[in-house]
Amino acid sequence: MNLDDELKSALRREGAPLGFTQRVVARARTKPIPKTAMFRMIWAAGIAAMLVIGFTAASEYRQVKAERAASQAVVALRIAAAKLNMTRDKVLKLEN
Amino acid sequence: MLTQVAITGTRPRAISEAISEAMTDDPERFAELVREHQAMVFSMACRYLRNRALAEEIAQDVFLQLYRKLPKLESSDHVLHWLRWVTAHRLIDHSRHEQRRPQSPLDSAPEPAVPANEGDPLLADMLRQLVAELPENARLVMILRYQEDLDPMDIAQALEMPLATVKSHLQRSLALLRDRLTRKKGVGI
Repeated sequence: MNLDDELKSALRREGAPLGFTQRVVARARTKPIPKTAMFRMIWAAGIAAMLVIGFTAASEYRQVKAERAASQAVVALRIAAAKLNMTRDKVLKLEN
Repeated sequence: MLTQVAITGTRPRAISEAISEAMTDDPERFAELVREHQAMVFSMACRYLRNRALAEEIAQDVFLQLYRKLPKLESSDHVLHWLRWVTAHRLIDHSRHEQRRPQSPLDSAPEPAVPANEGDPLLADMLRQLVAELPENARLVMILRYQEDLDPMDIAQALEMPLATVKSHLQRSLALLRDRLTRKKGVGI
């Protein structure tokens, strides 16, 4: 027995399974999204996300600022009312 | 080298035309290339892994890689060498990846279908199993030597391995196979 011949016989090529070519071609036809298009989509999504975050942050900042101004106006009115009350009391005392 | 000429020399013109037309996205021409080389790629994977389903998966991946690479391949010889090189490296990568995961013993792996064989089918099956038990590089060298009928120089080029290493793998593997066969079957080879 010749080992070389036996090995050649045992390890000779074997046919691929039925339909192998069709499966490969079908997979090749379903092309993946090109990299450039994918990059564009990622960029667009990133920019959109940044715009949404920026807009939300800006409107929230404006709202906080308005609330602070309103509370400061209330404090100012209270101080003015207190001063007026004090002045009125003094005037009343002088009249009496 | 003789084998490559024999393999590629069968229809070199048709293959060259297939390459150039496959570059223009013609699925039928690409299918022709797949048909031309599928037995080589699938058999290499099958002999190496001894698992037909896995072998098909890897062979499909190799051909998809070929589809993307086609515009850069210049001739049918180039395609053949590239396919051998990529298949060999995919198989080595796969077994390295598998080594990091828990493995099932070889005996539980599905057996490949045995083709019609002129010699002793039991001996052939035993030889396939013994080859599958060799270390990964030695296994690949044996597959390229006896399946693809490449000489050691071509194997060294295909695997980017020193010639002396290829020869050493072949000698050691043959000695090991002789020893194991003698022990298993009591056959003197």
